[in-house]
Amino acid sequence: MSDRPDTPAEAAGRDARSRRSESRRVAGWAEHHRWSASASLGRLLGRPFGTLMTVAVIGLALALPLAFYLLLGNVQRMGDAMGQRQAVSVFLKPGQGDAAAQLLAKSIGERADVAAVTVRTPQQGMDELAAMQGFSGALHALDDNPLPYVLQVMPKDALDAGAVQDLVTALRDERSVDMVQDSGSWRQRLDALLGLGNRIVAVLALLLSLAAVLVVGNTVRVDIAGRVEEIGVLMLVGASRSFVRRPYLYAGIWYGLLGGLVASLVAVAIELSLVAPVERLNAAYAGKLSIGALPLWLLLATPVASAVLGWVGARLVSAWQLRRLG
Amino acid sequence: MIRFDQVSKRYESGHEAISQLSFEVGDGEMAFVTGHSGAGKSTLLKLLALIERPSHGQIHLDGQNLGKVGRGGIPKLRRRIGMVFQDHRLLMDRTVFDNVELPLVIGGLAPAERGKRVRAALEKVGLLAYERQLPDTLSTGEQQRVGIARAIVARPALLIADEPTGNLDPQLAVEIMGLFAEFQQVGTTVLVASHDLPLIKRMKKRVVVLDHGRLVADVAAQEVL
Ligand SMILES: Nc1ncnc2c1ncn2[C@@H]1O[C@H](COP(=O)(O)OP(=O)(O)O)[C@@H](O)[C@H]1O
Ligand SMILES: [Mg+2]
Repeated sequence: MSDRPDTPAEAAGRDARSRRSESRRVAGWAEHHRWSASASLGRLLGRPFGTLMTVAVIGLALALPLAFYLLLGNVQRMGDAMGQRQAVSVFLKPGQGDAAAQLLAKSIGERADVAAVTVRTPQQGMDELAAMQGFSGALHALDDNPLPYVLQVMPKDALDAGAVQDLVTALRDERSVDMVQDSGSWRQRLDALLGLGNRIVAVLALLLSLAAVLVVGNTVRVDIAGRVEEIGVLMLVGASRSFVRRPYLYAGIWYGLLGGLVASLVAVAIELSLVAPVERLNAAYAGKLSIGALPLWLLLATPVASAVLGWVGARLVSAWQLRRLG
Repeated sequence: MIRFDQVSKRYESGHEAISQLSFEVGDGEMAFVTGHSGAGKSTLLKLLALIERPSHGQIHLDGQNLGKVGRGGIPKLRRRIGMVFQDHRLLMDRTVFDNVELPLVIGGLAPAERGKRVRAALEKVGLLAYERQLPDTLSTGEQQRVGIARAIVARPALLIADEPTGNLDPQLAVEIMGLFAEFQQVGTTVLVASHDLPLIKRMKKRVVVLDHGRLVADVAAQEVL
């Protein structure tokens, strides 16, 4: 505490000291985290019932959007499996002959989005109608066959509703085409519903994530309220605000992580319970249906994201509450 | 080590607990602060630990002007001071060991080093055998000794104690004061607030006497009768 300038030896010594103190500081920081993490985990395990409740609430809340997502994915798969085999009927203009029909069928068949094209002659159409009850008498009254050539266009399996719609539009634009009937419109409605479902899942995930943040926040709030005295003692013996706060942040992370794990496990359990009924459906649909599992990355990301949510909840609440404690 | 310059403390209630107080305590010195109840003893110690801020005047601790220590600097300052409270302020749900360890955890020491120092501190206050117990299972005097172990475990240069013997019977009180004297002997500066005059006289240390926040007597150790 004197004012005289440092000698070079003193300055060098101070540099070495400051390097030492820097590494000590980092070690101390790491030690703080190690201690806070294990201390908070110890507290959570110290009252297993309360911890279990919090974790279960978070787990079930987050399992809900996962379950919806699973359901949606599988409905989509079923739609894919059943819906793509719907042929598009292309009615040619009256007066288009066999040669024109064959030519158009060939050119449509060469399209990348088309799997197969079959030509149905007016005669075939007439025969089919004749086979139907009640029509034969009326048909005999006709001199000419009024039916047009019809092309049955089978879109490729992988096409979604939008691409099928594009195909329909392209076919409609053909000069010799009178009208196109897309029997796959139920498929379009399904896709629209699935889009709505996806939106609902997103909203649900957002709301329930918010709920998880609040659940952790409230648990931490109660925890801090019960430890006001301890926090006072910590402050008196020189704890910084961030030191006081850190165990609560770790508690938030543990709650979130454990809750997220529960959510993933619940989702897997739901998935497994769906296997048998889907197998039965699969048999009914000649092996075209199989259950679509939740992707592994989602099952792993859920606990991580949930840990982040827990941390956010703990952070918001602890900041607010410790500020109130002064 | 400690220097008060014309320090006054007026609480928000308007009551002036400390009035224009000036005194110094040297490095390694031990002094008692005494006076009637409400004289300002506790306030004086609180000003040192920045639990309260002075309304006027300056306090220097080890050459550092406490007026220049901001909010963020308070924890660091407190780590340099060992504090003992009348009601010992132990964490009742932690073992004796964990309580004493707290300042070292805050200081970021590694576990092995912490264990060594905690045991050394507990040994000094004669409680090594109790390290795994909860404070509840200890007598009041033993709890106070745990509080003292916690105050000295980080080897602070300054030890302050507010009525550390207030809840103890005379026999235990003498033992506790003896402990403080021992810490002074190994170089710690010690400042003890107490209204127990007979006990203070027995200790033969410097005595600073407050009356309504003013310094009315400063008796050197040799002059204590
Ligand atoms: N936080 C406070 N707010 C208002 N007045 C206080 C506060 N703390 C202490 N006082 C008053 O300041 C005076 C000195 O108190 P204190 O320092 O505790 O005295 P001592 O420890 O010597 O008994 C007393 O009159 C007390 O009522
Ligand atoms: Mg007092």
